[in-house]
Amino acid sequence: MKVKIWGARGSVPSPGPETTRYGGNTSCVQVTLSDGTIIALDAGTGIRGMGLALSEEGTRINILLTHLHLDHIQGLMFFAPAFRPSSEIVVWGPESPEASLHDRIARYISAPLSPVEMRELPCDVSFRDAPHTEWQIGTATVRAASVAHRGPTLGYRITEGDTSLCYIPDHEPGLGVQLGSDDPDWISGFELARGATMLFHDCQYTNAEYPHHVGWGHCKLGDALAFANRVEPERVMLFHHDPLHSDDFLDAFHGTAIAGWEELGGRAAQIELASERREVEIAAPEPAPAK
Amino acid sequence: MANGQRPLELILARNFLSSLSTPGFLVDEDGVLVFYNESAAVLLGVSFEDAGRMGPEEWGTAFGPFDDSGERVPFEELPLTVALRQGRPAHSHFTIRSMKGAEHAIEASALPIRASEETSGAMVFFWPLGARA
Repeated sequence: MKVKIWGARGSVPSPGPETTRYGGNTSCVQVTLSDGTIIALDAGTGIRGMGLALSEEGTRINILLTHLHLDHIQGLMFFAPAFRPSSEIVVWGPESPEASLHDRIARYISAPLSPVEMRELPCDVSFRDAPHTEWQIGTATVRAASVAHRGPTLGYRITEGDTSLCYIPDHEPGLGVQLGSDDPDWISGFELARGATMLFHDCQYTNAEYPHHVGWGHCKLGDALAFANRVEPERVMLFHHDPLHSDDFLDAFHGTAIAGWEELGGRAAQIELASERREVEIAAPEPAPAK
Repeated sequence: MANGQRPLELILARNFLSSLSTPGFLVDEDGVLVFYNESAAVLLGVSFEDAGRMGPEEWGTAFGPFDDSGERVPFEELPLTVALRQGRPAHSHFTIRSMKGAEHAIEASALPIRASEETSGAMVFFWPLGARA
């Protein structure tokens, strides 16, 4: 399973000289399965670059939306494959009792916010509520689960063979919960993330910033690490960086994260901060040699 | 729900109740009492941690409840039972008896917790009307 990060920023695009290394585009992660199947996790502004990088020949793409906040769908209108008749795009997202996924997204891809209407897109595009049970995309099994954020929000787990990627970019699991000690049944996202080969997880705030943002649906570093410590992934990719956090700030933040992770008994190499254009090939760990 | 993970709406309901000073109970889709908050513990005379999870028949009788004439209120008439079984809000008043023997007259309002057109549990709030020693 190959992974490429096209946008790691949260809330709002934040381009500029202070964010050139970690990037200013909002959430989008490309997953390419062993059979070539392409999955986009979220469609923030990062998906624009992903679309430009894809082949112009007939392309089938599954887009898994965690939720419909603007920083996770803003790039849809600038996704090049959506403007090619040869493309087939399937958009998955959280169900809502209020309106269909198509109709909710159409509020963005329609006047006055957009010069293009959904019905004008030349590609073959369909919208599907993420099922409550696992389903198959290419060679992968995909699972979705509701997680604690503002509004209907999903996390996803993509499993191919022995390798699994769990993606929970917007998540506040520590609200009213003792992440270090509460029963796992009561921790949002626990089953989805447990034992994943790689966990992409919200880490928008420092511990000092968080008290001003309680209930906004995002994680402080301490909670991101505590959650990861409970679910025991092989690797952790801290994600959804606050738009106010510059490259230099995030470098220092990474150091703090490593120190916190090591205090919890983890290894420094397991913790990374997501950066735009970063490519990772993830695979299940080699079994320990027999003694 | 996978491998015992609670539905998110139940997790959030528990978080909500744990932050309130209004006494509240939470039951899952099977009617099992899975949480009550510290304020409810004061009324009941025992913490949830000490009481533990209780099946429907157990929590329905552990603390009474009794009507105005001192008769036990049938389990199926309790607001929480109505909310869970009939999927609608319910309200009542009755007296409960704590583990320490104190009786409390309370108003109780229950409502089902629904998501994706399915009921995943119910919660009830108690409003104490006064202790009877």
